[in-house]
Amino acid sequence: MNRIDERMQLLKEKNEKAFITYTTVDLPDYETTKKIMHAQEEAGIDLMEIGVPFSDPVADGPVVQAASYKAILNGATLEGAFKMMKEVREEGLTSPVAFMMYYNTVYYYGLEAFADKCVECGVDGLVIPDLPYEEQEELKTILEARGDKVYLIQLVSPVSADRIPMLLKDAKGFVYCVSHMGVTGGDANFHENIKAYLKSVHDISPVPACMGFGIRTADDVKPLMDVVDGAVVGSHFLKLLEESNYSTDAVIKYIKEFKEGLRH
Amino acid sequence: MNKDSYYGKFGGQYVSESLMNTLHELEAAFDEAIKDPKFIEEYMYYLKEYVGRETPLYYADRLTKAYGGAKIYLKREDLNHTGAHKINNVIGQILLAKRMGKTKVIAETGAGQHGLATATGAALFDMECTVFMGKEDVERQALNVFKMEMLGAKVQPVTTGSATLKDATNEAIRSWAEHAEDTFYIIGSAVGPHPYPKMVKEFQSIISKEAKKQILEKEGRLPDVVMACVGGGSNSIGTFADFIDEKDVRLIGVEAGGLGIETGKHASAMALGKTGILHGMRTYLLQDDDGNIQLAHSVSAGLDYPGVGPEHAYLRDSGRAEYTSVTDSEAMEAMLELCKLEGIIPAVESSHALAYVKKLAPQLGTDKIIIVCLSGRGDKDVNTVQKYLNGEEINK
Repeated sequence: MNRIDERMQLLKEKNEKAFITYTTVDLPDYETTKKIMHAQEEAGIDLMEIGVPFSDPVADGPVVQAASYKAILNGATLEGAFKMMKEVREEGLTSPVAFMMYYNTVYYYGLEAFADKCVECGVDGLVIPDLPYEEQEELKTILEARGDKVYLIQLVSPVSADRIPMLLKDAKGFVYCVSHMGVTGGDANFHENIKAYLKSVHDISPVPACMGFGIRTADDVKPLMDVVDGAVVGSHFLKLLEESNYSTDAVIKYIKEFKEGLRH
Repeated sequence: MNKDSYYGKFGGQYVSESLMNTLHELEAAFDEAIKDPKFIEEYMYYLKEYVGRETPLYYADRLTKAYGGAKIYLKREDLNHTGAHKINNVIGQILLAKRMGKTKVIAETGAGQHGLATATGAALFDMECTVFMGKEDVERQALNVFKMEMLGAKVQPVTTGSATLKDATNEAIRSWAEHAEDTFYIIGSAVGPHPYPKMVKEFQSIISKEAKKQILEKEGRLPDVVMACVGGGSNSIGTFADFIDEKDVRLIGVEAGGLGIETGKHASAMALGKTGILHGMRTYLLQDDDGNIQLAHSVSAGLDYPGVGPEHAYLRDSGRAEYTSVTDSEAMEAMLELCKLEGIIPAVESSHALAYVKKLAPQLGTDKIIIVCLSGRGDKDVNTVQKYLNGEEINK
């Protein structure tokens, strides 16, 4: 069973929401990223999105762009991200992990080799913002040939409208509901019809619906608790890491508080 | 995979989910518009009365004699209003934007020619206009920035990444994803997600439609070679368009070889043939060993792009068109030669095609005919020429 399914199942049984974070690899360096991952697991994170940086991250706002740029300068590569994943799994990390990346990085590596490596290193899901539904078949076929080990996570946007049933019909793991138009980051002023949109996804989704883009605290999600199954924090988490000088204590405190906030 | 969005294995729509409906609406609006005689009539009206078409197909007698071979005809896109072919496409896309009820337009620009054309069209059609331009280019092309501002456009300097055309395009895509509800993104080259490459080709195909008619009038036959420079590939796809089905006409695209392909400092995406995904399309790209996009290098800001339009990638693979490159200095020499021999100051971009004409013409007999697209005029490049003549570095 895919680790994402296992965790989502467990949350459902406990009637809890999923909390998901995003960090970029090699920020500030290789070893610290590993430490941050273990700290997150200790704090009870439900899924970690790990960003594999690309030179041209068009779906990202200023915070993730800057993080990607720094990570590349630090020498971050896909090969390095695989190596790190393999090591953290060997060190006992059991939480679900998804790579957040751009399709060129996958394509350049080679789809078959990429899929094999994801399985080998314990990557459970992929979030690829520039690979919309219509272009997914090639990669999905290759992933599916390896069983349910690696899921391609579907993204849904506030303007997906009539596309939503198509996007959801074979969604796996969870569905990533983008909370506003544009790029990652921004503020918590979500799209005006956010609730109706999330409800339209939540009502028919075969997998948990988690929202992301612009979320900072559990309070941002509060008004939407009955239409989402979880929340993703990316840009704000990166800022917190930087401002706390990558303190594992700060990470643990933030995740525990957010998880606690989601329970009430 | 939607096969209509591909040229062989190139093209597609590699954009975020939030832009997919926007692209579908755009495609539907475009397909409907080009079948509407009223739309075509309006487009042709502005091309004639505002842009000043048709442009001459000029027989360059002294250049022909100097290069000693095939007869050389210049398709004078430099004589268009705003000084380059870019306006052909802007008029088409802005009319489409109006038809779709959009009130704002955005564009990316490198040297500033497409930004200038978009600012011009926006003034003409009373649209709010923002042009994204890399900070490096804002500094290098201060005059064009000033012109765009005079025309009422807002120039938004882009400081991310390498702060050049590639990053200006990234920023335009980001802004578009956020504001697509009221904003039309006018892409200047034959790149981007489907239907942009198809749309840009349609609106630039006027170049080859005219050239074909003109050469038949002047020579009573089709040319042997049709040639143009290739950055993203808008003037070249427009110059090729009406000749693609004429199998006896050789199509040649000339990329920017910068300091030489072997130095790695060039803008020739075709030379190494590495396929990848950028700016919504699958095509040939300059990439490093980790699959990150490499910076292009060229004396010409208009060719300084790490990719190429997907139809060009397909024309290369299918063998229908040939692609080659010339270096910065070859282009500069050809530029100066056209000035002295014909009294025409060509854009440094177009001079790349001229430099290859110089190599090819003598290999062909005097009974052969070459049409080369003179995509723009070189007023914007005089500082570069000055530096070149003073022996300063022109390609950083």
